[in-house]
Amino acid sequence: MTGSVEVVYRGIFQKHLGQRITRGIVLAAWKEGKVGISFGRYGDSPERNGIPAKSFAVVADNEEELQAYLSRYEPSNNDVTVAVDDTLCKGVESWAWYGLQPINKLTRAGGTVLVTSIQTPEELLKDCHRKNAEWNLAVLKGTASFSGLWVYKEDHTDVRVLGAIAKVAPHVVKIESVEAAIRGEWGDELKVGSARKAYERVEIRTVRPEEGNPEKPYEFQLPKWWEMKEALVIPGIPVRQEVRGWDGGYRPGRNPTFKKFATRTMRPVVDFEICTKCTICWLQCPDSCFDVTPTGHYDANMEACCGCGVCEAVCPVKDCITMVNERAFEDNASQFEAYQKDEAAYKAWLREKIQDKVVTSRSHGFRYRGQYQEELAQMAAEGEGPGGS
Amino acid sequence: MMMTTALTVLPTQDLQPFKGVKKVRIEEYFTSGHRTCQGCESALVMKLMAKAAGPRTIILGSTGCMYVANTTYYSTSWVVPWMHTQLGASGSAAVGTAAGLKVLMRKQRIKEEPINVIAFCGDGGGADMGLSSISAALTYPEYNFLILMYDNESYANTDIQLSSMTPYGANTTFSPPGKARRILHKRWKKNVACMLAAGHPECRYVATVDASYPLEMMNRVRKALSIGGPTFIHSLDPCPKGWDYDPMQSHELGELAVETGVWPLFEVENGILKFYGKSKAIAQGRKRKPVREYLLRQGRFAHFTEEDLDYFQKKIDGMWERWLLPGIAPFRLADDIKKALAKSEAELEATS
Repeated sequence: MTGSVEVVYRGIFQKHLGQRITRGIVLAAWKEGKVGISFGRYGDSPERNGIPAKSFAVVADNEEELQAYLSRYEPSNNDVTVAVDDTLCKGVESWAWYGLQPINKLTRAGGTVLVTSIQTPEELLKDCHRKNAEWNLAVLKGTASFSGLWVYKEDHTDVRVLGAIAKVAPHVVKIESVEAAIRGEWGDELKVGSARKAYERVEIRTVRPEEGNPEKPYEFQLPKWWEMKEALVIPGIPVRQEVRGWDGGYRPGRNPTFKKFATRTMRPVVDFEICTKCTICWLQCPDSCFDVTPTGHYDANMEACCGCGVCEAVCPVKDCITMVNERAFEDNASQFEAYQKDEAAYKAWLREKIQDKVVTSRSHGFRYRGQYQEELAQMAAEGEGPGGS
Repeated sequence: MMMTTALTVLPTQDLQPFKGVKKVRIEEYFTSGHRTCQGCESALVMKLMAKAAGPRTIILGSTGCMYVANTTYYSTSWVVPWMHTQLGASGSAAVGTAAGLKVLMRKQRIKEEPINVIAFCGDGGGADMGLSSISAALTYPEYNFLILMYDNESYANTDIQLSSMTPYGANTTFSPPGKARRILHKRWKKNVACMLAAGHPECRYVATVDASYPLEMMNRVRKALSIGGPTFIHSLDPCPKGWDYDPMQSHELGELAVETGVWPLFEVENGILKFYGKSKAIAQGRKRKPVREYLLRQGRFAHFTEEDLDYFQKKIDGMWERWLLPGIAPFRLADDIKKALAKSEAELEATS
């Protein structure tokens, strides 16, 4: 019998986390006398930061079964899909394919999507797309763990996920073997304890086919190479998109086959009232995501924004641009249109988004040396993280 | 614009500097939907470069992030014509394209008009593999083109391997700090802009730029495209992936590189060397920020001890305090030459 687990993670920020989880699964399987292999998806390399990528673990009773399973391109019928960041539930547009893939697409019928999140399963189901079969949603309580590429944040998310996998898929790995593997790999009883607690506390819920986000994920039909023009020339992007009623405004043409917004974990919200139209966010955006409105405002287009936060960093006006956790939003609607329609309502909406410190405070990656030690101390003080929760 | 003895030189576009951010053209010629990292400064360099050059431009890209991430199968973010060139071939591709355009115009196969030719390369494609082809290209005064090197100080596209532009001590896949040896990479990075400016008398314009100063950066691109002949620009691009920092800090790290003196902004125009922006003030004696402010914001230097930080600071101090061309060329004059020069200067002063 074989079992497989895919870990969906946010590029460089979670590369080592993803690798540790899939490696841990194989180490645990060995403790049970099984064989296994853990590997990253080739098509994801190099993992761009933020862009969803995958790491896999396959375990089997013997070499023959493992070889047979690996003869396919990649595991596509997984017992467990792990999303180490809950905004991945909105869908995944990775390097390796075109279009948006639901988080549960490669989860087998009756399999489990395991998410680390502080949201409830019901809130997460607003994002997760529907599946044509019954599946399980498991929530491991915790905020998404982002760290640097060269500096790892030891917040025990890796072992907690391993403990939770043992709960939702004991036929892949058992909790006893996970504990033994952690002892062997790290020799840390605190980590063993974190795995056991996660095993006991992970929340699981069955999801019926009619539950979840009804939206159809976007996809593209691309020509085959032999259908392309001579010399494999492809069309360039038009310099502008016409927008009705936008005299004097400008919306650039954009790549139609890659949207990039599934990369986003935070989005900028703009206070148009205090904006001085200084142009700096527009000029400094690496993704050219700002549309220039006829009034000379800059409206971050949510189909193109990948949430890097440079606009907030360069904006000279205090509190004009604020990055807010992506989970606080349901759609990609234009903020400027909402502002034009009803300024007071927009202002209230804006205030609500910005004031919720739970959703605005979010770490993207390494900021300064010593940051992770401080954060871990803070988590310990609040009874979370290593040894806690 | 001008005729030299035996060479026909085609006119270039008249690209006057943008006078202020409000005067920058609104159109994008490199647009959204590229598969780069969040906060990718090199993507910003592409965008600003294309914006500065305008619609009548052909861009050639050698292998690197800005090829792989921007143009996956049947997918592009380029508005202007773009073509992939071999890794290390940006110089030859630029000469070939400029020469081809010239012939097509002479044979009246296409309308005669000035068309910008820009070839870009990363630090791997330019400073390592492509250096000879760039050097060769810069010896052809009869062709108009710009070679822009976007330097993120590693082979970031293939998982952050060390390049000759990786700074001292940085953590890369090829130089991981370990218990036995903390610092594996001990070479000091090359100064490509200085090397190319010093060695290519036919090249009229060489500059270093930093996209954290977008107006200055775009105007250097416009100068390079309008001055005529082959030109070279070297851009330092903070890389959130390889340098390991929160992508929100891209802009700030670009500024810190200049303010700490690690990245001098200068241009050599018709043989005249000028510092510009904050580097000008530094060259004139303004205090530099300590390099630790820059280094400790990046995960690739997180393993540095106080000793390493001091060493790095001393090297930067030396660059500015002891070099003949501060921050640029690591020369010092031999004593007899110094004396002779001082003497002739004194004589000059006495006679004037």
